[in-house]
Amino acid sequence: MTRSSHCPYCALQCAMSLTPAGARIEVAGRDFPTNRGGLCKKGWTSAEVLDTTDRVTRPLRRVDGGFEEVSWAEALDDIARRLRDIRSSHGADAVGVFGGGGLTNEKAYQLGKFARIALGTSRIDYNGRFCMSSAAAAGNRAFGVDRGLPFPVEDLDDARTILLLGSNVAATMPPFIGHLAGARAAGGLVVVDPRRSETARLTEDGGGIHVQPAPGTDLVVLLGLTHVVLAEGLADSAYLAERTVGLDELRREVNRWWPERVQEVTGVPAAQLRQVARRLAEGRAFILTGRGVEQHVDGTDTATAAINLALVLGLPGRVEGGRAVSGYGTLTGQGNGQGGREHGQKADQLPGYRKITDPAAREHVASVWGVPPESIPGPGVPAVELLGMLGREVKALLVHGSNVVVSAPDAAAVTRALDELDLLVVCDFVPSETALLADYILPVTQWAEEEGTMTSLEGRVLRRRRAIDPPAEARSELWVMRELARRLDAPGTWSTDAAEVFDELARASAGGIADYSGLSHARLDEGVAAFWPYPAGSAGTPRLFEDRFAHPDGLARLVAVIPRLREPGAQRGGELTLVTGRLLEHYQSGAQTRRVPELVTARPEAALQIHPATASRLGIASGDLVEITSPRGVTRARAEVTSGIRHDTVFLPFHFPGAERANTLTEAAVDPVSAMPEFKRTLVSVARVEEVPA
Amino acid sequence: MIRVVVIGYGPVAARFVEGMLDSVRAGEVALAVLGAEQADVYNRVLVAEYAVGRADRDTLDIGDTAAARAAGVDVRLGEAATGIDRERRRVRTSTGSHLPYDRLVLATGARANVPTLAGLERSRRHRLARPHDPADLDRGARPLPRGVVTLRDLTDAELVADAVRDRRRIVVLGAGVLGMEFALAAAERGARVVVVHHGPSPMARNLDVAGGRTLALAASAAGVEMVAHSRAEGILTRTDDAGRAHFDALLCADGKQVHGDLLLLSAGAAPRVELAADAGLVVSTGVVVDEHLRSWTDPHVFAIGDCAQVATPGSAAPDGRVPGASAGLIGPGWRQADALVELLRAEAAGRSATLAPPAERPTVVMLKAEGVDVCAGGVVDADPWDADPQGHSCGRAWQVTVWADPARGGYVKLVTRGGVLEGFVCVGMPRTAAELTLLFERGSELPADRTALLRLDSTDALVAPASDPFAPDATVCWCNGVTAGRITEAIDAGDDTVACVGRSTRAGTGCGGCKGRIAELLARAGKGETVSAG
Repeated sequence: MTRSSHCPYCALQCAMSLTPAGARIEVAGRDFPTNRGGLCKKGWTSAEVLDTTDRVTRPLRRVDGGFEEVSWAEALDDIARRLRDIRSSHGADAVGVFGGGGLTNEKAYQLGKFARIALGTSRIDYNGRFCMSSAAAAGNRAFGVDRGLPFPVEDLDDARTILLLGSNVAATMPPFIGHLAGARAAGGLVVVDPRRSETARLTEDGGGIHVQPAPGTDLVVLLGLTHVVLAEGLADSAYLAERTVGLDELRREVNRWWPERVQEVTGVPAAQLRQVARRLAEGRAFILTGRGVEQHVDGTDTATAAINLALVLGLPGRVEGGRAVSGYGTLTGQGNGQGGREHGQKADQLPGYRKITDPAAREHVASVWGVPPESIPGPGVPAVELLGMLGREVKALLVHGSNVVVSAPDAAAVTRALDELDLLVVCDFVPSETALLADYILPVTQWAEEEGTMTSLEGRVLRRRRAIDPPAEARSELWVMRELARRLDAPGTWSTDAAEVFDELARASAGGIADYSGLSHARLDEGVAAFWPYPAGSAGTPRLFEDRFAHPDGLARLVAVIPRLREPGAQRGGELTLVTGRLLEHYQSGAQTRRVPELVTARPEAALQIHPATASRLGIASGDLVEITSPRGVTRARAEVTSGIRHDTVFLPFHFPGAERANTLTEAAVDPVSAMPEFKRTLVSVARVEEVPA
Repeated sequence: MIRVVVIGYGPVAARFVEGMLDSVRAGEVALAVLGAEQADVYNRVLVAEYAVGRADRDTLDIGDTAAARAAGVDVRLGEAATGIDRERRRVRTSTGSHLPYDRLVLATGARANVPTLAGLERSRRHRLARPHDPADLDRGARPLPRGVVTLRDLTDAELVADAVRDRRRIVVLGAGVLGMEFALAAAERGARVVVVHHGPSPMARNLDVAGGRTLALAASAAGVEMVAHSRAEGILTRTDDAGRAHFDALLCADGKQVHGDLLLLSAGAAPRVELAADAGLVVSTGVVVDEHLRSWTDPHVFAIGDCAQVATPGSAAPDGRVPGASAGLIGPGWRQADALVELLRAEAAGRSATLAPPAERPTVVMLKAEGVDVCAGGVVDADPWDADPQGHSCGRAWQVTVWADPARGGYVKLVTRGGVLEGFVCVGMPRTAAELTLLFERGSELPADRTALLRLDSTDALVAPASDPFAPDATVCWCNGVTAGRITEAIDAGDDTVACVGRSTRAGTGCGGCKGRIAELLARAGKGETVSAG
């Protein structure tokens, strides 16, 4: 029977139909407001991962030189025993949990609960720290809530201008670009990217404007745009007066950033800044940010500056004829990057986007979990700090839906640290690079083999449905957590039925910011468009901020941000700035897509984009093998010579492991507010490698 | 606790005050600020834009006096310093009070020069004349005649604003950055503007002659009348209805008279050094300080911004002249303010400063004008054939690259040493200018192929080489990475509709944006169909 579900990959969560065909399933696009029946190459081929030849189908235990199959009982008994031992010798916080933004809401919720009341550890965080934490922090402080897009995606269709900062949607979520068509037709797609990315090329032929700042200077670009809006009287004064606070301080700060001064820092022509600012002020404008501007040590401030610009123009919360006519949003990346950041995987958070330090929140959640509030640990530490504790404060790590060996900054250091652990347990369906270092690999179900929910980039809760049986011994993580909880004598109930776990999540979230209490699997199966907050008795909230922002006084905060004027480093002697990012054919650490033959054939290896003038100076031709070196290590890639990148910048995709791993080069420096790592500005040198014929 | 007094309350002083607030709140520093103007601190950089009506008054706000006062700073507006008693370490003010200090910061800025012209003799203030009244800080023995202004503060700006609004004829004397910016902006706003200057080309301090001439062409095209090679000698006045003398014409050495309703003097600015000089501090063009911004004479006194002249102690020539001069730009001033904040905060907290003093380096000058792009910095007068193109001096010699296209208004000169810009001029090529600004500011190495920079402004800039959208290797469907060649193969193999092509290649099955191009490929193969929407 054909089941309706959604794609296993990105946060656009394209709708799919899954039809069993023998032992396999066939995937087809399904009509839905986000993808309108379309799928990208990754989606079309997603079923290939279900029966990939090296699928993990039975629990594996590390033995000398490899792994041996063991029974679930043997694996779980031993893991539980070792977790108890570590806890009794080093304390509960010696066990860490690392989650993922691809887990269903039910798993993410259960994992947060498992960490707090079964393991008793505060040390849980997740890979969403690497993608959404800066935009989330900025949204929370400006609006009092963080829902990536506070309006449905299709509201973008009528935009006259869309300012897209640091997002290459044409490669990362291709069906999304259908929603840019209106702005392109109006000549109003403005893409800010140091690269002539696939998305930047959508501005060609009258589609709009490509703004190409030097990497890491986006914050100053945004201050310059805000300066022009205020200086030229383009601000929405009535809106600012009625709906915001903080204008005076903001004005004084952006007054320092007139366009010519911005040009000195960013390389963006003053005239182009004025042109973009004026265009934005013509109405029906949206501002969207992505990882390119957020994955920096000043990422929170940069997202804040984008929000400030939107507020000064009066964009957020403007609804006419039942549609948002303008607004601000951040484009969430991972499949459940939105839901994954709402229900307790974050170090400082309880379900419903509650703060773990808030006594009322603790009391409410404790009552749902059936434990005393004081038994819930306090805030833990964010991902990069957690990974830095491995082998020292943290002796055991449980990894769910994450491949930190490829995806974490300064990945070589992380890999070494994983080796120092007394116990590493990885739940995965393929032997990912991280799983291969584990003491136990526990086989879990994939998207088409399980029930659950995902929350898309627009804050819409979607049903994931089972269309095929999992292979051999693969089990849902809900089952794994129940079995471990039982062996650890944990309090609380541990259902393995996703619908029941969802009901518990809904109760736990009731009254929180991300309130799901009016939802259930049954309700979702009726086909409601379920945008949160969706309190019991409501019909959800497709569009936020129409009447008020989520702060107690209903006003948005303009937060004046001051760029830390790092003396811009002179790039000499071949020193280049490395930016990392994604390709159309691959997803995140590549653990899934590198197992799909069609995708691997199209993109078998990492390619380093480099400008022709730079390449010729370094004696590099397209196709040459090159070595990229930073203080942290060396990575190899094929050179791809292209004029679509700045002459002082190179680009490397982060999907590849081993010698091609981009994150060997990146640094574990983080944003002071969000603890998001700096992925987009690494100083490197590049050299051609002589290839010795085999 | 240390007591700090700041004389002056311009943008540089405001930044200093802002940086000190945490120390003031912590009770480590007691801070007092004297601002001669009644108006709250504002950004002088944008005064010309304000004068022509391109920026509103709010845009000039730059410091938060209320926040400073709330933190405990004693901000005194409309009160000028009239003397410094270095023996007793106190500042006398125009209200007769005395402010004691442990550290004194001079941020007195600069005043507009009034050139030596017949008719303005007594309007020129002597550079060492001591101040008494805050309102008379820059006034000569006699006020400027009616219709003659400088453009330095808000009062000037308001006079000029009237003339611009009424579309009067304005004579600008001097073709420096500020003169040209104002002229272009005023012309854009509909005023009739004539610029009178020495020598063959405008912005002679910043641009080489060829760059200046390219600018002059652009300015003329923008409606500004440019009068070159003209040395002004005096002004002629007429008597208005109320019997007051009013500017009528500028009189040049060659006998030419340039008539107008308003004369704007744009002859540069000079540091206000009279207080320092009177207090016996070493003064040359500005208040002479070392690289830590400390006076050569008195370790308790610092100077920042336009009034400061940074020079290594002992570098004075036998005649007493000290090398260098204040850049007169805001960027270096703010860097100095930040460095001094670091120094004094460290001192107040009893630790050593970690921030190195700001390196004095050449700054970029950029004309703030719409449609006329001029950017320059550093050494600009080198000639391509004076340089050492063969590189016999091991990469240490200058190399000069020039692109000149006056007919289309483009001019670029790059002066490099070891591949790094020592100077540049860029006119009429905004994207190239932006890139050069960045490279110059950072001191980064240029691409070895210099033409890569020129091409940023070309019409084919950044357009992918395979611009034929139907070339076999051109991507048609981005969502699924399908090329035109692959689609043609499918068509050749029998696919005759967009939907069929989609089934066999997945082209058009993502966002659907390429269905039109698939249909076009079908049509080219003689298999036309109408594409339905969606």
